[in-house]
Amino acid sequence: MSDTSTNLVPLMIVVGVLASFIVVGLLTKAKEATEYLFAGRYIGRVGGGAAIASNWMSAASLMGMAGLIYLYGYLALAYVIGWTGGYVLLLVLLAGQIRRFGKYTAPDFVGERYASPTARLIAAVISIAISVIYCVAQFKGIALLFGWLLGLPYRSALLVGGISTILYVVISGMLGVAKNQRMQYFVLIVSFILPLMFLARKLGYFWILPQFGYGAAIDGLSHEAQRQFVTPFASGSLFQWVALCFTLMVGTGGLPHVLSRFYMVPNIRDARWSVVWGLFFIALIYWSAPAYAVFGRLMETRLGITLDPDTARSMADLVIIKTAVMGGLPQWLVGVLAAGAMSAAFFTVAGLLMTGAASISYDIYYRLINQRASEANRMAVAKGGTLVLALVVFLLALEPRGLIAEITAIAFALAGNTIFPAFLLGIWWERANRHGVIAGLLTGVLVTFAAPLFGGAFPLVAQLLPVTSSAIIGAPLVILVMIGVSLVTPPPPEEIRRFLAEEVHGHMD
Amino acid sequence: MNDNRRYDVNLFRPKPGYMRDEVKVILLVLVGWGVLTFGFQLLLRLFAEPVTGESWLTRLSFFNLPLHFWFTGQFLPLWFVILCALFNLFIDKLTERHSRRRDFRDERHLH
Repeated sequence: MSDTSTNLVPLMIVVGVLASFIVVGLLTKAKEATEYLFAGRYIGRVGGGAAIASNWMSAASLMGMAGLIYLYGYLALAYVIGWTGGYVLLLVLLAGQIRRFGKYTAPDFVGERYASPTARLIAAVISIAISVIYCVAQFKGIALLFGWLLGLPYRSALLVGGISTILYVVISGMLGVAKNQRMQYFVLIVSFILPLMFLARKLGYFWILPQFGYGAAIDGLSHEAQRQFVTPFASGSLFQWVALCFTLMVGTGGLPHVLSRFYMVPNIRDARWSVVWGLFFIALIYWSAPAYAVFGRLMETRLGITLDPDTARSMADLVIIKTAVMGGLPQWLVGVLAAGAMSAAFFTVAGLLMTGAASISYDIYYRLINQRASEANRMAVAKGGTLVLALVVFLLALEPRGLIAEITAIAFALAGNTIFPAFLLGIWWERANRHGVIAGLLTGVLVTFAAPLFGGAFPLVAQLLPVTSSAIIGAPLVILVMIGVSLVTPPPPEEIRRFLAEEVHGHMD
Repeated sequence: MNDNRRYDVNLFRPKPGYMRDEVKVILLVLVGWGVLTFGFQLLLRLFAEPVTGESWLTRLSFFNLPLHFWFTGQFLPLWFVILCALFNLFIDKLTERHSRRRDFRDERHLH
């Protein structure tokens, strides 16, 4: 495979799939006006689950996860577990309660619950930072895909990819394209699993359910690759596995764009059941990711390729594409695979940039700077904010420090060290107050970035608080800080405590 | 201080009634979540033989995969789906029971 030539057929498929989302979005918009009376906006539990899953899927799930499993085998299963197990925490501890609390965004919740504009500002800045870090990972994925499609070096591909993403967001916004998350999920799952079935069939394994057929392929790996892949803790210690997994779990429960699915749902019972479907739909993809990794290794074994660790790492994020190409899949099918990953990254960027910009415009500009700002004024700030954030993301993505899933994990660590404790205590302990949450949020930020900040001077810090896995120590520490500081300062206003006791936890009394 | 006590909200000291039942279900699910996820990794480490890191858990095979790989990579995500479904079933039942009790109480109040 040459790295500098254009892959025309896949390129056409990627462009075609992205364009079809716009066309379908426009058609549904026209239809919605007439159907609205009958169906309303009710999408049902299964449809709600597909929406949760497509909201969740990004380049980290479709490209990064397979890449890390390819590199680290069992250690990287911590990503599979962390990114599914987190939904258990979210469902049992937060979903119903934040619905009854009824605020719109994470900073809004923190600001109202703790009755503090300062806490709202800190939470807003943290949410924006989470969006930016998450988007950097997406931009890296987009750049790698464009690089492969167009035969460009990374930075030129990043420029092309970044501009295409922003144009896509702007055009969809201007045309008022309706989001069709069920269609998105359908495209994602087909584009990920269809090529995998072809691969399994071509390689001679059970192809009807390749998620379960890849096991036999492990026997075909070279002895060394096999040991590296399967042996638990060959690539990392028990602590590293648990720390990473726990961090991703609490991060899932603290990600603003995931939490936001529950603030305003019309019916919490349907919303709870759609989590079950959503988790199942997510698991369908996560059961498949290891198969790409194993087939990738298998192909290398069969072709007699041995990559040194650095080369393997540099190509890991594209392993799904490389595997498909090495496996001799038809061009159009590789295109389908790329189109799925590309649209996941596009939609994630679109969603996160808009969440981030809304936070700039509402939580920072409107609530703190100019309370008399007009609607038009706030819109202008939001639009400007989107572009500024996109530029920041672009600059950070020029020199990405890790693999896609690793960068994403930093966003999870930040969310797990800050937003998750603020929500957990905010919901489950009426005594938590603004002093506590401010101290907690700041501690969380410090812990998240402790390894890059102080890791050089204190190697122990880098060992205990790896930047992708800091929340195993960070989240409990932040909770303790919040409890300690809250107890030595006056309780929060009676009004909010009554609201918590009577509305959030007393709806059945 | 007496006044403050009326608005007690605490995961570890839930008020009697719906909240206490709800918290029981939550804690049970969390135990099932934590023990199978992290407990299993601990077992793997405990049984691991020096140097190779292997054990009976990695030598047994299930669905063509080494048992531990199958358990973590395939069973645990399924287990989370099951846990979420069980949680919803319990909460649905709980909500129905308590709303019936509430309706009954309100009705008696009216007469």
